[in-house]
Amino acid sequence: MNDVCNTAAIFRQGNTNCGGCGMSITLQMLRRAVGANPVHLVIPACCGAVAGGTFPQSTYGVPTIMSTFASAAAVASGLASVASLNGEGTRVIVLAGDGGTFDIGFATLSAAAERNEDILFLCYDNEIYGNTGGQRSSATPQGAVTSNTLEGKLEQKKDILAVMAAHRIPYAASVSLAHAEDTQKKFAHAVAQKGFRFLHVLSPCPTGWKSEPALGLELVRLAVRSGLWPVYEIFDGKRYTVSIEPDFSDEALGLYLSLQRRFQKSGLTAADLRPAIERNWQSLRALSGRIIPGKRESREG
Amino acid sequence: MQAKTTMDHADLIPDLPLEVRVHGRGGQGGVTCAKLIAGLFSQLGLHVQTFGDYGSERAGAPVQAYARIDRAPIRNANKVYRPGHLLVLDEALLGPHILEGVEPGALLLLNTPQPLAHFAGRFDRYRFAVLDATAIAREHGIGSASVVIINTTILGAYARILGLPLKVLDEAYAHLGLASDLPAAEAAFATVEIAEPRETAPAAPTPHAAPPPVMPILQHRADTPASLKTGNWSSQIPAYVESPAPCNHACPAGNDVVGFVQALAKGDSAKAAALLFETQPLPSVCGRVCPAPCMNACNRAAFDGAVNIRSLERLVGDSATATPTREDVLHPQHIAVVGGGPAGLSAAYQLARAGHLATIYEAGPQLGGVLATGIPAFRLPPEMLQRDLERILALGIKARLSTPIRKADLATLTKDHDGVVVAVGFGASKSLGIAGENLGNVEQGLAFLARVKEMPEILSGTVIVVGGGNTAIDCARTALRCGADKVKLVYRRAKKDMPAIAEEIAEAEREGVMVMAHRQPIAIHERGALADVVLAEMEAGPADASGRRRPVVTARTATLTASKILLALGQGNEHDLLPAGWSLRGARAYHGEQALPVYFAGDCAEGEGTVTHAIGSGRKAAAAILTRTHAVVLAKDVALPVAPGQIRFDAFPVAAPHADRLIHPAAFAGDFSETNLGLADAAEASRCFSCGHCTLCDTCLISCPEGVIAQRGGHYRVDPEYCKGCGMCVAECPRAGIEMQEKRV
Amino acid sequence: MSSQLLSANHAAALATTLAARANRKGKGFVSGVYPITPSTECMEYLCNQKIEKGRVVRVESEHSAMGVCIGGAAAGARSFTATSSNGLAYMVENCIAAANLRLPVVMVVANRTLGPPWNIWADQGDALLLRDAGLIQFYCASNQEVFDTVLSAFRLAEDGRVMMPVMVNMEGFILSHNVAPVEIPQQGLVDDFLPLTDIPHRLETVPHTLGQVELPHQNECHRFQHHTAMLAAAAIYDDIRAQFEPIFGRALQGALVPYRCDDAETLIVSMGTMGITAERVVDDMRAAGARVGSLRLRLFRPLPVDAIRAVFAGKKRIAILDRNIGLGLGGVLWSDTRALADPGAVVQNYLTGLGGGDVRPEHIAKIVADIAAREISGAPMLMEAV
Repeated sequence: MNDVCNTAAIFRQGNTNCGGCGMSITLQMLRRAVGANPVHLVIPACCGAVAGGTFPQSTYGVPTIMSTFASAAAVASGLASVASLNGEGTRVIVLAGDGGTFDIGFATLSAAAERNEDILFLCYDNEIYGNTGGQRSSATPQGAVTSNTLEGKLEQKKDILAVMAAHRIPYAASVSLAHAEDTQKKFAHAVAQKGFRFLHVLSPCPTGWKSEPALGLELVRLAVRSGLWPVYEIFDGKRYTVSIEPDFSDEALGLYLSLQRRFQKSGLTAADLRPAIERNWQSLRALSGRIIPGKRESREG
Repeated sequence: MQAKTTMDHADLIPDLPLEVRVHGRGGQGGVTCAKLIAGLFSQLGLHVQTFGDYGSERAGAPVQAYARIDRAPIRNANKVYRPGHLLVLDEALLGPHILEGVEPGALLLLNTPQPLAHFAGRFDRYRFAVLDATAIAREHGIGSASVVIINTTILGAYARILGLPLKVLDEAYAHLGLASDLPAAEAAFATVEIAEPRETAPAAPTPHAAPPPVMPILQHRADTPASLKTGNWSSQIPAYVESPAPCNHACPAGNDVVGFVQALAKGDSAKAAALLFETQPLPSVCGRVCPAPCMNACNRAAFDGAVNIRSLERLVGDSATATPTREDVLHPQHIAVVGGGPAGLSAAYQLARAGHLATIYEAGPQLGGVLATGIPAFRLPPEMLQRDLERILALGIKARLSTPIRKADLATLTKDHDGVVVAVGFGASKSLGIAGENLGNVEQGLAFLARVKEMPEILSGTVIVVGGGNTAIDCARTALRCGADKVKLVYRRAKKDMPAIAEEIAEAEREGVMVMAHRQPIAIHERGALADVVLAEMEAGPADASGRRRPVVTARTATLTASKILLALGQGNEHDLLPAGWSLRGARAYHGEQALPVYFAGDCAEGEGTVTHAIGSGRKAAAAILTRTHAVVLAKDVALPVAPGQIRFDAFPVAAPHADRLIHPAAFAGDFSETNLGLADAAEASRCFSCGHCTLCDTCLISCPEGVIAQRGGHYRVDPEYCKGCGMCVAECPRAGIEMQEKRV
Repeated sequence: MSSQLLSANHAAALATTLAARANRKGKGFVSGVYPITPSTECMEYLCNQKIEKGRVVRVESEHSAMGVCIGGAAAGARSFTATSSNGLAYMVENCIAAANLRLPVVMVVANRTLGPPWNIWADQGDALLLRDAGLIQFYCASNQEVFDTVLSAFRLAEDGRVMMPVMVNMEGFILSHNVAPVEIPQQGLVDDFLPLTDIPHRLETVPHTLGQVELPHQNECHRFQHHTAMLAAAAIYDDIRAQFEPIFGRALQGALVPYRCDDAETLIVSMGTMGITAERVVDDMRAAGARVGSLRLRLFRPLPVDAIRAVFAGKKRIAILDRNIGLGLGGVLWSDTRALADPGAVVQNYLTGLGGGDVRPEHIAKIVADIAAREISGAPMLMEAV
């Protein structure tokens, strides 16, 4: 991590993201993985587009295009095509929220993945339509209160990584920003890899989650520890590797819920969530071929 | 006259139509403030309109909101450009453009902790009012820990400025559903300070600026970084501050424990030694025999075991090649130090390092006090003490051995020197006060230890040691090495209450010492060459003044036969050293009312009974001599230590402590060689959390969402122009090395 | 130069193929395509061409088809798509984005009725959804015209003074599936005609952002700059025509196609294939002594206001035929142009061939008879009511 200051920022100062925004952290971490690679960034309508600054200023330190909400993966396909036709090493990266990934951008994402476009699709998932003031998306977890589910969302969060795995893309992974080294490894791999890569980042949103801005990474850490946010990689849609072993702590889960006012009204408890977490991990264990938790395997074997 | 109704108060409002502009921050209630103002006027039966200036900024960003009030329906949907009332909810928003369009005589209401006088001359053209709404709202618990919501509070002040009676405010709050915030509003109503306009000269009208030309999209290809300074979004900024590490805080000698351990962790053993030498003249000694309060206090104890600090200190002491240096002073003082034990040595050491002349007057034939005579060689090899002593004497300290100082001598010494440090240690050893105590095979432990150190003796049969401190343990283990068949240690409280170092107790038991807790000798009977010791069982009695439950003797007894009984019950600190007319106040001697340059140090002054306390005490005395004040400030005197809760444990992998290398000889008789070889290397140092002390680990830098933390020249800098004050760096710092501080406006 | 028997769909695709290859020494060619009747054959044809430094991305929707074009153009490539009807409606959001971002995407639209209820036949209502969105719009009447217009659309869209999308329209089936001989130039001539694509604000290595937030004043200025560039496009198109002819040896049709208008008292105004039918009716009626002329608009946006007014000058009766309806007002061509007629002239709107019905000579003759009997303008009329 000594090279932290040696590369130009992807996301620069003077941006209008809220303090403590997980998307901001994601972009700072991405900067270190990108290094000197040329990058074209595609951002659909989302907080990331608003954070880009007012014309002609740009808070993005790489050439960037704002796409319509649903179109990020399509626009990125166009950019990636030109890069490939011209033999340029440009890495085309999409930065999309959960709305632009799980919902309105889903068909486009799926198609680009199926075509195995040379794109890194980075979803910063704050589990909410943050840019419009906090409405539910299909990434909103069950029980979360949003501005249009006042009693808490009834439905479960969509398992987007399973969907992406079904596309048999070369690389898909979930990311915990609270584990910087693992994040760094995945970002670096995803930047270097050819073909469609999908990264799913749990992105704390103090405004939408109604939590303290300073506690964003701690919340992610609690989500990982409790097993709520499994951190793993999927290679070619079939080889699963768990990156971080949780301790399945109910205390961590309880703390995760209690530190966010979005969960308070629905009265969700650790016990309510535990069965689903266990089911999720059972299938993850089966897919990773490890019934007993193991240490993280080196990707390169 | 009938009381006015709320509606009637509308005629109190002058200057209608009225336009109001509120400057606040995203997510902190600015838009709601304008809405409340509109609500208040609506209660008065007026036509109102209110809206926010919706941009794309997020939480913390400056935002504006507006309200219009009129007697007639409002026919203007534009923003407010010429407000008659301007409310500024955060003093930091007072930028150059805030008064844009505000005419002289307009109302300017500012939320600030500053009094009116603070702004003298700045807003004389306006009707200017201030109040500390943040403090009031915080006091009334409105908002969250990080964001205090002040709009309902400031409305109270606003009502007062409008000249509305409190009753109207009460009714309005009831109507607006804000009854719970009324007390805060009433406090604001009561405390707002208002100044009428002093200058009447109108400001020069601001010319309507033509909008700047807009670059066509097709020419948009240059890099234009953003100019927005987000640093003013927050009233707080992180600051890198050192907080006392619990080890430093606990160290009676005042050692910079975290400093030397971190130096070791970075592989800089020379720096580690230099840091220790600042406060510690006896690292090889303390690295062996210190009870190490630092380790008890270590935050890692609550995680996976305290850092083995004692043995790291030993490593430094044993391997240090550099020697402490002496400063040059123009007029060196000459100080007499009475007593060559650890306190006296420490005082002399500090005086010499500061460039002064110190002479130690030692009653015995050698320096070191109890270190030389009272600690067995298997625990503190004499050559190790010698090594520390030589390093001390190398500073040019004179030592007069076998030179006891009596009352008369003390007065003379005081006359002949610029100052005197008295560090004569404890007084006589305590006795049991029971029958048979004077029998030939009953001996004081310290005398036994001193004698055996001079010349090992042969024991046999059962030896009983009475006491629970380190001297008792030393006696017991020494007795084993003298050939005793059995050694039984009798202690009146529970084993866990024994003041001896836990590791030493464990070693003694491993070597075969049997600990008999809750026992006390009540009589000793002669039995030929042997003695019968009558042991009574003890049980906890009522609590004493210190809150500790004193053990009391029961009727249940048993008798043991022993060849030798060693008493290790501690020592008193009564000394008859003060000449006539002298008295002690604190640690300083007085002759009548005249303060003397004579300071007492160590066990004779403080009676704590450990080497490390004595060292700290000696250093304090030296500083007091030189400055005539107590200039030494120990970490514990400054602030609370970093608590375990402030350490982010999950940043550290679990790693058991590196244990000392212990030797377990098959037979002890005659073997006084050291049994604890300490640590093989300094790897243990890397377990140190470095509580409250930044290690440049980059966690803050990596977790900063804004990328505004940079490391240069061995420290971090947060860019105040852009830091949004989210506090992530503070929350993520594994070791409490950063804290949020209020910005100065 | 060779002549091939081609449908207009294939002619459009072939023109695009030649234009794509012409940029092989530049940043290349990127196209996003998705099938929809009656445009499908155009993308099929394109997908089956070998294009050096070109990629046709077979996407999952029209929305993404234009998305790919936006990405391709933003990276500096020549870009193209083709669609119809609901496909265009689905694409609208990204068409607007491409226009606002000033990206020179060329698109071919086989005009078709919007549904449901489903109707696959010709109606210009799809393209007119984008009437005001900042895309240049041409309406063609023959296969050769489609070929020539598509080829020159690349030149016009990518002109540094224009730099915006160009849409080339042809009526679904009526023209898209009409097979006729088309003169096809050699690649070398196309290379001569089309400079390499040079999009000045494309993404390269200098950090800058396309499409970020604009303040009200910035936005109004950008909109007006776009508008101004669009107004200038008509003259630039004339320049292109002047260069087209020497290279390819035939004339490129102009923005307006007036036919026997000069001494006409009655004018038949239309867009698309109805225009050539009208010309035949004009000939027939002229033979019978009626002073009738035809004006066919090829360029609808920017609307060549002055040129139209010049043609309208002195005409007593103007019949405006619309194969579309702006519901709640009337035909779009009529509503846009009726104010350009002389005061007192009778300007009557006829809604013709909506939903893909044929507009036969006898229909137009009936319309001419209807307007001849009028003293004042009336409300727009459906052809069947005439």
